[in-house]
Amino acid sequence: MTLITTRPAPGTARPYAFPAIHRVTAHGGTVIAAHLPGQVLATAVLLLDASGAREPEGREGTATVLAKSLEEGTKKRDSAAYALALEGLGAELSPSVDWDAFRVGVSAPAPRLAGAVRLAAEAARTPKLDPSDVARVRDDEVTALRMDWAQPGPRADAALRADLFAAEGRYSRPLHGDPTSVAAVTVDDVLAFHQEWMLRPGVLLVAGDLDGLDLAELAEAAFADTTGQALALDAPLRLSVPAKPRVILVDRPGSVQSTLRIGHRAPERATPDYVPMTLAATVLGGAFTSRLNHLIREVKGYTYGIRGSYAMTRRAGRFEVAAGVQTAVTGPAILDTLGEIRRTQAEGVTEAELEVARSWRAGQLSVEMQTPGAIAGALASLVVHGLPDDYYETLRREYLEATVEQVSAAAGRHLAVDGLTLVVEGDGEKIKADLAEFGDLTEATV
Amino acid sequence: MGRVTSPTAPVATTGYPWPIETTRLANGLRVVVSEDRTAPVVCVNLWYDVGSRHEPPGQTGFAHLFEHLMFEGSQHVKKTEHMKLVQGNGGSLNATTNPDRTNYFESMPSEHLELALWLEADRLGGLVPALTQETLDNQREVVKNERRQRYDNVPYGDAWLRLLPLLYPQGHPYHHATIGSMEDLNAASLDTFKAFHQQYYAPNNCVLTVAGDASPAEVFALAEKYFGAIDTVPDIPPAPSGHLAGPAGEPARETVTAAVPAPRIYLSHRTYPFGSAGYDAITVLATVLGSGRGSRLYQRLADGKRIAQPDYIGSYGVDLAHAPAPLIITATAKDGVDAGTLEAGLVEVVQSLIDEPVTEDELNRAKALLTTSWWRQVSTVGGRADTLGRYTTQFGDPATAGHRLPAWQAVTADDITEAAVNTLQPSSRVTLTYLPEKSGEES
Repeated sequence: MTLITTRPAPGTARPYAFPAIHRVTAHGGTVIAAHLPGQVLATAVLLLDASGAREPEGREGTATVLAKSLEEGTKKRDSAAYALALEGLGAELSPSVDWDAFRVGVSAPAPRLAGAVRLAAEAARTPKLDPSDVARVRDDEVTALRMDWAQPGPRADAALRADLFAAEGRYSRPLHGDPTSVAAVTVDDVLAFHQEWMLRPGVLLVAGDLDGLDLAELAEAAFADTTGQALALDAPLRLSVPAKPRVILVDRPGSVQSTLRIGHRAPERATPDYVPMTLAATVLGGAFTSRLNHLIREVKGYTYGIRGSYAMTRRAGRFEVAAGVQTAVTGPAILDTLGEIRRTQAEGVTEAELEVARSWRAGQLSVEMQTPGAIAGALASLVVHGLPDDYYETLRREYLEATVEQVSAAAGRHLAVDGLTLVVEGDGEKIKADLAEFGDLTEATV
Repeated sequence: MGRVTSPTAPVATTGYPWPIETTRLANGLRVVVSEDRTAPVVCVNLWYDVGSRHEPPGQTGFAHLFEHLMFEGSQHVKKTEHMKLVQGNGGSLNATTNPDRTNYFESMPSEHLELALWLEADRLGGLVPALTQETLDNQREVVKNERRQRYDNVPYGDAWLRLLPLLYPQGHPYHHATIGSMEDLNAASLDTFKAFHQQYYAPNNCVLTVAGDASPAEVFALAEKYFGAIDTVPDIPPAPSGHLAGPAGEPARETVTAAVPAPRIYLSHRTYPFGSAGYDAITVLATVLGSGRGSRLYQRLADGKRIAQPDYIGSYGVDLAHAPAPLIITATAKDGVDAGTLEAGLVEVVQSLIDEPVTEDELNRAKALLTTSWWRQVSTVGGRADTLGRYTTQFGDPATAGHRLPAWQAVTADDITEAAVNTLQPSSRVTLTYLPEKSGEES
């Protein structure tokens, strides 16, 4: 047998273009639609300025309880009739809450999208919110959070957030609250949140074959009977990184892995360093061949996978490394992780590594943006972060043109190995001694 | 096919409206191409007809561990270079192993189609010379960590591992789970893996599918160029027979007391093989029973009696093709509800599929949800390539992929009742119960 020994050269690249964007306005709201010719499925997302950050202190999880209450019937029909009407179109409601917005999404074959949007808007704008239903949904959510928090991860995430954002009120608490804060949510909290934040028109994002969709009809469905003006933007949080590392143990007796959440604060999404920071994080912990995954998984075999990234929202950002490592190698895995962060901060990246990161990030803009859902998500980023319609073309170019100097400088500016908070969720009895090596050890109360 | 079964469900005449062209190389490699020029993206997908059902006793987990080794370099591709070349040219890649088969796939900007084919040909034709003990030892540890992360360190994480031996008898190819046992993984030797590759990684045991921004003529020529010289492997041994004489003859039950936050029940039955008319009925049945807020389980146990947690209720079939595939039904108790009450509730709803005909509304709802899920599956070139690879491997013809959606839409209420009567009897039921170690414990 003869295999071809030389690696083939690439063919000619077709130019990249984000789908054409169309807009329609009605009743103070805007439909922003991306044309995907030939897609049978279409997605619509109602994007409202009603994020988790708007929840009252101590009642974190209010927006999530509201999200889960939307399908408990509307002013027009009870919950069973609502489920049958929506699911009979092949659609399911996906309400979600993040740090910047409240989203209510539906996907369906294009001819059924208008009907699904009408029902989504009916739930978002005119939910029944019967007090006994809301109280039951709240209680179910407490139970669901307890289920979730029994898995490795959520408690470590909460401990890291509490430490990084200790002085930042709502941002110090988990996005969806914790079992205690959700238990404290009252029916009135949920009704007030709905009244206060869910009735402004907002934006409807649409992705699908626009030849079969009537955008004016979708705008009418989404924005009829809405009131109020768009809200002013709040300023970003003031950024601070502590002078020395902190180590926090989240005890999980009997755990066969230690869950690592290692991070520090970082700039918000609007930072001019967004592109070089993203590329630096890709080299450090984003790609499969990243420094962290290569060393900790492929060389040492300590983990199934390790990732490092920046997460940046409108008002805040953070750098984080996340992994599950075998209990017995918790100390060595942390040591190696810190070593790679330190090296990247001090020495920056190499041209060979950056070439992988650039091409990967640029290519992902077409490879990972094929579905209506992915395109609707990309449209949402444009709206939330105030970016222009040609943003993805610009982003692609900026990725491809970023230099080693720019990316290394961003790594130096936005990594802080000595200011990290190291949260480790694992079997305390077995790993405590290892952890004390890395800084002052405290035990989390989550 | 495609007949109208309800006034509102739009009926598709095919679930695969894109063109499909095929060829077969002299060495037996089947090549499938589905051109779509919408986006400058192409997916290369290979289905190897080998999975954990081929593993003999003492070698559980080998097919999956082998899949990991396929990323660690081959004759002309250095260790770590495979990932670097795919991601470093903008692509996404992965591979999965299940009881039936192993698949490998990368979606790339289309100018890198030839690179993807070269990489795949090199690890098909030239893996063995690059396999080292060091690589095996490292990936064995990675896989053991995968097992810890996915199954051992997660509440209820081992349910699938426990259900399989209850569903399938000792010696049946589906009796053991794909992830394998720690003991067998520890015993894996390099020679076994070399032999495994030489036995099953053959052009005549593989389907190569390319979907997206490429023409059939171009792909056929490139397939010949890169794969054409790889030798056929004669007499590949088939997996042990998956034949079972009907549903299980007696119920099976296991109760696990573990660090879980609430009682949970899994009910499971062997049904029909994926691809059969019976399994199409089971697919619609599973949607009527447990998919969405309008399903019977949600309406009767999460709403209704309010004994089950709304976020953790559902039913689904596991799409296995070489023996009757499992239907899995699960619910988790609400606070203050005991496992016995929950099980009685679940059993009553399952029994309703036998006793209480599915209504027109229920049927329409299920078909509409399945229609959306089908179109979601084929909304990417990656989803399309994998679908065509499956239908070529398992049914001999990629065009049969277009039949599934119309077949679901043709399922009648009577078909569902018949499937329920045949497969969901208490006498063939597997019941797996998880109980918390201490009641009322919070994490």
